Amino acid sequence: MFPYLMAGSAGVRRITIDLSLFLFTRFVVYFFLATLSWYFGQALFRNPLARNLVPGLLYIVFAIMLVWYSISNSRRNKCPAKIVTTVNDRRLVPVLLGVVNSLGFCPALFLILTKGATQGTLFQSYMAFFAFFVGSSLWFLPLPLAGKVRKKEVLKTIGILATGLAGIIFMIKGITNLIGGILNG
Amino acid sequence: MDNNLINSTFRKSFGKSLLYALPMFLITFMFMTGGRLNFSDPMAVMATLIAFLLVNVLYFLMHYTGKTDRYRVVLFIIFALTLSYTLIKNMVEIRSSMSFSRSDILECKIPFCHLVIPMMILPAAFTKSIIFPGSILNGFANISSMVVLWLVATLVLGRGFCSWGCFYGGWDDGFSRMRKKPAIRKINEIWRWMPFAILFMVALTAALTLVPTYCDWICPFKAVTEFEKVTSVESAAKAGVFLSLFIGLVVVLPILTKKRTQCSFLCPLGAVNSLSNKITPFTVKIDKAACSECFKCVEVCPLFALTKEDIKAGKVSIFCSKCGKCVDACSKNAIHYGIKGVPAGTLKNFLRNLFLFVSFLFMAIFSAGAVISTLHSLLKLIF
Repeated sequence: MFPYLMAGSAGVRRITIDLSLFLFTRFVVYFFLATLSWYFGQALFRNPLARNLVPGLLYIVFAIMLVWYSISNSRRNKCPAKIVTTVNDRRLVPVLLGVVNSLGFCPALFLILTKGATQGTLFQSYMAFFAFFVGSSLWFLPLPLAGKVRKKEVLKTIGILATGLAGIIFMIKGITNLIGGILNG
Repeated sequence: MDNNLINSTFRKSFGKSLLYALPMFLITFMFMTGGRLNFSDPMAVMATLIAFLLVNVLYFLMHYTGKTDRYRVVLFIIFALTLSYTLIKNMVEIRSSMSFSRSDILECKIPFCHLVIPMMILPAAFTKSIIFPGSILNGFANISSMVVLWLVATLVLGRGFCSWGCFYGGWDDGFSRMRKKPAIRKINEIWRWMPFAILFMVALTAALTLVPTYCDWICPFKAVTEFEKVTSVESAAKAGVFLSLFIGLVVVLPILTKKRTQCSFLCPLGAVNSLSNKITPFTVKIDKAACSECFKCVEVCPLFALTKEDIKAGKVSIFCSKCGKCVDACSKNAIHYGIKGVPAGTLKNFLRNLFLFVSFLFMAIFSAGAVISTLHSLLKLIF
């Protein structure tokens, strides 16, 4: 969705403003998510058994999502930002895209919510989300040039395979955590 | 008709083959003996001579019969088996076990292997440190010697390293030859890109965690080299992954598909080497004028490097490891070793001789230590 906005006919200044607004909105949404997930985690993980088991279960759910994402054909059809196409005010578009992009329930968001919920302090949760924000923002920078990439299909194939592979790795990690949690009581 | 006779372009007379084998004879003798044989240990002399004869007879036969892969694979498999034996023997002698402990990691006593290289690059660039707990200059299988060897071989041979230098490739290459016909024929070509996905994953995770994640979680050859002592659920899970991947991708699938499935679908270094095929001088060429499009080469290629489309387009893909199996299978000599810039169909014999000399010499020298050491142990065991 966003590449279209960035790669449109607008000049560099306009694109920079749009990109900044988009990233700022994501930053604000992640700040709220970090707070929410940490408080949720505090409430949920007071019980030591839950502290041991829940992360394992969450990893498994995350792994299933990743594997599903890599094998499902529906990922090609759905547009998560359909609402944006109905907005008339152009200045609101990057803000709305920022919100939709941050809240889009993707495997990566699921992982960071789990991480935020299992951190010891609220500050650590903020730091985890901040690292996630920086890491995930980097991916947007080369996107305006995506149209120039040759052999796009090959890169897409590698990306899908890597997603499935990550799913398998997280599945093993989740099962290991779960068994470890059960054995350690 | 006998395949040996069909491939007449590459066959040579007995005398000519001997002449071609002479430089290999002299160089391998110098490398294996260091210029002089130490007669104080007759077993060591015998082991050296047997290894010397083995490599030179194989090289001679490559010229005499015109076949490449048939004799390459003999040394390739022996290399894999003897290297694993030597590695295990060293491990048992040093620490009385194939498993390593936390203190072995802290003391940097883990033997290095080339599969770690793709994971080392990013952390080395950003942190100026090597994320593998091995010795940089000293001891058995140290980091610097392996990196230099791999780099030189890859720059010259490209993915040829996977069929002429990798001491693991012989395992699945060997198992892939156990059946006459494959039980599984249809494999989606999409899986050819899996090593790139793994490379992407392990390079990224190694950079983030500063741990060689492929060795830590995936490498199937832990099963025949060394592994972490099973002391926790996590280490047990890792051992399960190593064993499953070894049995699945190195043993069972190669037998069923007659393909090198570990090299084709898993190895991240294979992905790096595939990319290096773009810059290396040696390549495999398709002479379209001579090709009858029987697609026998596509059928026998162990690394899914050839498709019908590739043959029609007259070029091999980046996955080619220059093993020579397609060259041996082609009854029209339409596939041959070549050099970039030299048109397909020209200087077939000269370029084959040149490639064989470089690649076989590398394999002979690289494998010599392991072969001699294993033979020495076997001789001591027998006599």
